[in-house]
Amino acid sequence: MIGALMYLQMQSIRNRLRMRLRRLKKPKYLAGAAVGVAYFYFFFFRNLFVGSRSPAAADAASPETLLLFELMGALALFVMVLAAWIFPHERAALLFSEAEIAFLFPAPVTRRTLIHFKLLRSQIAILFTTFFLTLVSGRFGQEGKAWIHAAGWWLILSTLSLHTLAASFARTRLLELGVSHWRRRIIVLAAVGLLVVAVMRWVKSSVPAPAESDFADIEALKYYLRHALESGPALYALIPFRLIARPYLAPDAAAFVAAFIPAAVLMLLHYWWVVRADVAFEEASVELSRKFAERIAAVRAGGGWHSTDKPKKRKSPPFALRPTGIYAVAFLWKNLISAGHAFTLRTWIFLALFAVIAGVPIGLSSSSSGWLLPAVGVLTVLLTGYSVLLGPAILRQDLRQDLVNADILKMYPLRGWQVVLGELLAPAVILTGVQWCLVLLATATFSRFPEDNPIPLATRLSLGAAVAILAPMVNLVSLVIPNASALLFPAWMQTGRQHVGGIEVMGQRLIFMLGSVLVFGFALVPAAVLFGLVFFFVKIFLGEMLAAPIGATVAAAVLAAEAALAVGWMGRLFERFDLSAEMAS
Amino acid sequence: MIEVEGLTKLYDKFPAVSELSFTVRSGEVLGLVGPNGAGKTTTLRCLSGIIPATRGTVRIAGEDLAQNAIAAKRQLSFFPDEPRLFEYLTVWQHLIFTARIYQVVNYQEIGRQLLAELEMADKVDLLPGELSRGMKQKLVIACGLLHSPKVIFFDEPLTGLDPLGIRRMKDSILNRAREGAAIIISSHLLHLLEEVCSHVLILKGGLKILDGTMDEILQKFSEHAGDANLEEVFFRATREANENA
Repeated sequence: MIGALMYLQMQSIRNRLRMRLRRLKKPKYLAGAAVGVAYFYFFFFRNLFVGSRSPAAADAASPETLLLFELMGALALFVMVLAAWIFPHERAALLFSEAEIAFLFPAPVTRRTLIHFKLLRSQIAILFTTFFLTLVSGRFGQEGKAWIHAAGWWLILSTLSLHTLAASFARTRLLELGVSHWRRRIIVLAAVGLLVVAVMRWVKSSVPAPAESDFADIEALKYYLRHALESGPALYALIPFRLIARPYLAPDAAAFVAAFIPAAVLMLLHYWWVVRADVAFEEASVELSRKFAERIAAVRAGGGWHSTDKPKKRKSPPFALRPTGIYAVAFLWKNLISAGHAFTLRTWIFLALFAVIAGVPIGLSSSSSGWLLPAVGVLTVLLTGYSVLLGPAILRQDLRQDLVNADILKMYPLRGWQVVLGELLAPAVILTGVQWCLVLLATATFSRFPEDNPIPLATRLSLGAAVAILAPMVNLVSLVIPNASALLFPAWMQTGRQHVGGIEVMGQRLIFMLGSVLVFGFALVPAAVLFGLVFFFVKIFLGEMLAAPIGATVAAAVLAAEAALAVGWMGRLFERFDLSAEMAS
Repeated sequence: MIEVEGLTKLYDKFPAVSELSFTVRSGEVLGLVGPNGAGKTTTLRCLSGIIPATRGTVRIAGEDLAQNAIAAKRQLSFFPDEPRLFEYLTVWQHLIFTARIYQVVNYQEIGRQLLAELEMADKVDLLPGELSRGMKQKLVIACGLLHSPKVIFFDEPLTGLDPLGIRRMKDSILNRAREGAAIIISSHLLHLLEEVCSHVLILKGGLKILDGTMDEILQKFSEHAGDANLEEVFFRATREANENA
């Protein structure tokens, strides 16, 4: 029977790989794969061929340092194992896909075989994680020690995985015996509390506490920690965890073999524990798999991983939508509802009032010296800048959210540009609202530079007005880029119903990030040039106070023209867009 | 009302629908039948303007779908097999949004009437996540009928409905047809089509293999096999198409 399950696993992997390789026939995936491979090569694999960047540093670890690492690792494992006994409140459940449940649960397959299937499958994830962790820890190329670290990681991850599973079986068995979750937690916490008290008493009586001066010396602290954990009750409590951590830290092959044997015995004991536990996990597994499938469906429909955890709440509309008027406003209304309660008119009025009421008194106290005013000022300016760069990535109540519903949108009697404009409005409005509040706060508070040079109110008002005028159009242009990308390359943006992954998609996203920055920068150039020219002439003829707002108005008009051209082009893209054809390829 | 001439849809080089021509007049109900992969859903998606046809013309209530898409789309409604809704809008908010898109001034009156007909009057504040599949289907129908379309496309309209819902849906389709709508229904439920359709079109591999009025088609096949029903007609027509291929 296990042969059939292995066949299922191997064929699934093989077919997934074949599908990914087939995707490389498309130039955009091939380019993405090339960039992804280059990224992996330069960040991880390069050391495989040219050696470690600092082999000396790794080899310099003294036996004392290795011992400390072992103790720290054992302590971390202890905490992880403890968590498996304290936090979970579910019955034992093995995660199967819905198809596996449909095929395997009614089939004449023993419970033990199912467990073996799960263990086999978990090994694939563990081996991948081992490979990744070994790469990340930069161990390849270090005089043949990479295999020690890989084997060490594998042992740690496998034992932890087995222990987590065994603990879930044991918790379920305890529940069947009438030991509730809270009773179990109290017992475990009491035992841990006793251990901690015993360790503290031992340490207090046996290890001299570090003096205040010792805190400046890391070696003294290391010494204290080592002795606290390597003697008395902690020594015995940490033995199994140290056994598991030790092979990873082995300095050579002989030490590894010596450390590996007891650790492997411990892992095999866990395996024996898991396969011998005859606990009913089927019902809880069905429920777990259902939840997992719902979450995947929610993610593919544009929601979050936890969006199915709690029933959604109804959200109040931000304003009353009349049945006639500009179409784009309907999309703004809809997407503001999607954004949630935080983005109602009441919220904005409250935030603006807060910025004025809190900011003005701070700003007026400009005579007093100190770091508060410059700090608040610099922070608000930085946040405004970050909101331009990060806002479009965070606020996705636009085409990126709605492209999965493209069939509905395309049925509407609207021009493509009307749909696109409507879809862009909600994040642009939200971002602009946030930035206007920040500008208000900055105008009110940023009355001094960190070097104590005062900033006159007139200058602040002038610059504040300029930023406020520019913000909506800058946001619109910055939102055009990811939305146009979603229309051009829906598979890159993960808007569809089909999850996409792999090295080629990662490479595509790197290209996209770089491309977005370039396009955004390029789009700002004409507006920046005109702003500079207008600012220069207005300053000469009308004075400095008006130069920035008038320059910003001209720049905003240029950006508006760019956004209008882009929306028109995106509208034509949307009219030709066929998500099913995109996703089928 | 619905005039289709030489409709062809290619996916790369694969013809999902080839040279399809037919007409559905006001008050007629056309049953679109065919095995899986015959091109029924692709046809409906082309007719409703969701995807552009590769070749051919589609006229909805006299408006060319390619040349004057907006005017054509104002006259039609498409009900897909899977109800697609905005998960963050309540039932009533869906109607408000749809009303603005189609500029339906008296939407409140029509909306309440539709919800009452569909037995959803007490569900106006619920989100799609709180509705059963059948209820979602009904909400899609309420949204689709809000602007009183003259042309209606149904893709498997009975999926997820309970027996009473099925009865009401059949009545609703016939009522809309009596009121003058031109309707196309794609379904595998041949008994449903036999009950509600005035015309039948059988597709296979994207090609039309048979069309005509229900009576003509049943009569044609009855000459060979006594009292034929649509199921027998379907099997024989597709078998003959296989043999001719």
